Amino acid sequence: MHNQIQPGGLAGARFVDPVVLARVGNLELIARSVVDGFINGMHRSPYFGASVDFAEHRGYTPGDDIRRVDWKLYGRTDRFYIKEYEADTNANFACLLDVSKSMAFGSRGVTKLQYARILAACLTYMVHRQRDRVGFAAFDDDLVEFVPCSAKHLDVTLHVLDRLKPSKPGALAPPMKKLAEHFARRGLLVLISDLYEDPQAVLEAVAPLRFRGHDMIVFHVLDAAEIEFDYDQASAFEDLESGEQIPVVPEALAEQYRLLVREHSEALRSKFSELRIDYALLNTSAPLDHALFSYLSMREQMSRVR
Amino acid sequence: MGFVAPIVLAGLGALAIPVLIHLIQRERKRVVEFPSLMFLRKIPYQSVRRRRVRNWLLLALRLAALALIVLAFARPFFRRSELAAAAQNGAREAVILVDTSYSMEYGDRWATAKTAATDAIRGLGPGDRASLVLFSSGADVAVRSAADRGRLESGLASAVTGPGATRYAPALKLAGSLLGESALPRREIILITDFQRRGWDQTPGRDDVKLPERTTLTPVNVAAGETANLSVTPVSLQRTRFENHDRVVVTAGVVNHGPRPVTRAALALEIDGNVIQSLPADVAPGGSSSVTFGPFTVASRNMRGTVRLPADALVRDNVFHFVVSPSEPVHALVVNRGGAEREALYLSRALAIGESPRVELTSRTPTTVTDADLRQTSVVLLNDIQAPDDLVDRLRRFVAAGGGLFVAAGPHATWPAAAAAALPGLPGDPVDRTTTTPSRLGGLEYSHPVFELFRAPRTGDFSAARFYGYRGVLQPTGQVLARFDDGTPALMEGKDRAAGAGRVLMWTSTLDLEWNDLAVKPVFLPFIHTVTKYLADFTDAPASLTVGQVIPAPRKASGKGGAGARGGTIAIAPSGGRVAVETEDGALELAEQGFYDVRTQGAAADSATTLASNVDLSESDLAALDPRELAAAVAGRLPGSTGALADGRPSDEAQAQAQRLWWYLLVAGGLLLAAETLLSNRLSQNGARVS
Repeated sequence: MHNQIQPGGLAGARFVDPVVLARVGNLELIARSVVDGFINGMHRSPYFGASVDFAEHRGYTPGDDIRRVDWKLYGRTDRFYIKEYEADTNANFACLLDVSKSMAFGSRGVTKLQYARILAACLTYMVHRQRDRVGFAAFDDDLVEFVPCSAKHLDVTLHVLDRLKPSKPGALAPPMKKLAEHFARRGLLVLISDLYEDPQAVLEAVAPLRFRGHDMIVFHVLDAAEIEFDYDQASAFEDLESGEQIPVVPEALAEQYRLLVREHSEALRSKFSELRIDYALLNTSAPLDHALFSYLSMREQMSRVR
Repeated sequence: MGFVAPIVLAGLGALAIPVLIHLIQRERKRVVEFPSLMFLRKIPYQSVRRRRVRNWLLLALRLAALALIVLAFARPFFRRSELAAAAQNGAREAVILVDTSYSMEYGDRWATAKTAATDAIRGLGPGDRASLVLFSSGADVAVRSAADRGRLESGLASAVTGPGATRYAPALKLAGSLLGESALPRREIILITDFQRRGWDQTPGRDDVKLPERTTLTPVNVAAGETANLSVTPVSLQRTRFENHDRVVVTAGVVNHGPRPVTRAALALEIDGNVIQSLPADVAPGGSSSVTFGPFTVASRNMRGTVRLPADALVRDNVFHFVVSPSEPVHALVVNRGGAEREALYLSRALAIGESPRVELTSRTPTTVTDADLRQTSVVLLNDIQAPDDLVDRLRRFVAAGGGLFVAAGPHATWPAAAAAALPGLPGDPVDRTTTTPSRLGGLEYSHPVFELFRAPRTGDFSAARFYGYRGVLQPTGQVLARFDDGTPALMEGKDRAAGAGRVLMWTSTLDLEWNDLAVKPVFLPFIHTVTKYLADFTDAPASLTVGQVIPAPRKASGKGGAGARGGTIAIAPSGGRVAVETEDGALELAEQGFYDVRTQGAAADSATTLASNVDLSESDLAALDPRELAAAVAGRLPGSTGALADGRPSDEAQAQAQRLWWYLLVAGGLLLAAETLLSNRLSQNGARVS
């Protein structure tokens, strides 16, 4: 998805190499530089569901609140119409970030966690600028950090994000189950993880959140080396989480490996779409604002369709 | 000595690979950190683990076995004088395939094809036999394996072109089976056609034709020069309702298959034989354009419509026939509690909207439902009522006779336990979710017709609706189509359905705002409509059909003139011929272009059904296929090389005998591999003991 729109194709926007961003260190500064540049480039802010945009008129039916009747329209047409909006209030937004040990992997100068952290910071910052309430949660095989949703929690979130260190192997189901109880009010949840689990298990872990009515987006963050498997020397491969080693001849199985990764991603995509969850595969070697832009513009297009 | 497949010997180079790997990889041990071995572990163990050469004898055994197997696959053979002797020329079995699809009517193609077929018949030698096969979308044997030229020529003389489309695969399969029956040594297929690209489906697995061994395919192409052709496209009909009459707007298109633009092609719309409007259309080369005619009123049943272009070099694709009849509404009966009619507001409003089908709604209370009501209606919706025993009895008869029943079980609904078998389950105790979080719908059966519409993403979100109360289900027997988040069935369908009986759905909440807010969600309207359509078993009669389609004989519902009728169903073809359709499960194959009248013998004239039959319009694309491409696809080799191979080959047995050597090599290779297995097992056991 991230290479559908070429960086040169958009006047005024420039995309920042994630390696450079990772060196900056100050998350607020990074978020501001990415998001501002990206919004200026678009000349329109992408909306995240929560706004006061006028949606449509609908005929009045008994039971509707008469305060919502559009009296100007009544004056013109002599009929009662209700004015409906996209969303009435500011929405809750939270990033759920995977900080398991496998996220510490990076082959091109930036680790998946650094990338995911910047992504989370950017989204949080962007949503905060829309006056929505932001929250945050980090998990490995249990909940590690939790910041409840609030309009004042941007600084706390960025601070917590900055401190995160991967330490334990990950598991999706237990923390998701806990989180489902933490987020009582419906909102927008963004899950950022490398999803190293069986697609069915991933789906079962995420489903409780979705069934509570949350709108969900899943960013599947993978390093370029994990997607392309461009190793050339036979070596022992060590699992970052379990420490287990197996000998591998990359030429012999690169093709099969890529096929498996593709199948995994396709399986996730189709399963998520059944639950109406948006899914995007992000490659950490692609510029972050570019990835954000192409994903959000796709989401905006789809929201026009419905 | 030589090799049948010397290229395989290059495989001997592969012998170097195990040795090289051994030399290069001997001393290195690198550790690469990787996020997860989840995928690597799934790849079979053998390819992951690098074998290390422990024992040179083992390596030598393996290399020798590999070399022998490679040699075996290269098929070595000894040249013998008998192999050089060519097989004797013998008598020939020929199949002459003549295309009779309607594209052969273009220009002088049909005359050329007949001349080519006559030449082929006259070219038969003494002792040769030939079959004549006429094909379009199907293939028919006109003359089977005859040596008599007179029979073949008279069979050819009576051949005419028809409304079918070109399909090569059935014809070639038939020719293959005809040749397979023959004992003559030489086999030939002569394919006389205009080689339309549309006739050959190149997707693998679709048109896989395998011809018998040593068959020659001789293509004869009768298409010549540049082609130009205009054709109409299938029309689209838009119905609107205006003062109790249906009005139809016809949109028709023109496709230009030629290389030059066409300006002001006159498209005429005829209704019941009278031209009512004619509109011009400009079409770019290779493009299409569409015109929309003014609306006309559907005054009677079976109105015949035709969209017509002026005649050009190919006439059949210039007309498109269709049939329109006034839309018949679905009658639905809503049964409300006495004094609670207002609660059906959302339901009745939802049903009042919609054109296809139109729903005519009657409201009753449990005590005022009459037998006449039940006779007229095809769907009954019980909106949260206490069903009295007599009504339940009548409803059971109604369902057994084919009617659809929808039961909304809200707080007031009851159903006699004695009649529990009529429902997919009995409404049980209410579940109150007003104090805890409201429930939501999940686990929808998207493969079921009721929810199929909502299958794709962003086509309606049932999880947006909140449910504050619903009924449990006692003695559930039916299929569950949707569940609440605690697993309680929300929508169930009765499973055991007798033949001819209607469908039964039970909804365990209300259809108004009392227990849920589904009624004000966007999905409510399409949901109610798909439910009604499903229960009424509503299907739209197609406005037009295609030649070659086989349709079940249209059966008129009893009660409208068909009741007094006896005797079989007959169809009157466009040419005036009568086609009898078998009474029991009769089917009618459309063989001509035009309007078919289908009626039951002895029934009133107005009970007839008219069917519009059109030619397959894909045939009007005259783009040609390279005959060599088709020949190569079915024979597995180019036609130029077939002649020599077919004539100069020794018999199969002689060839097999000469190449027997590969078999011994393969056996020796296998024995070496077995020895290698034994040796390596022994070595690994020793190794285990030492360690």
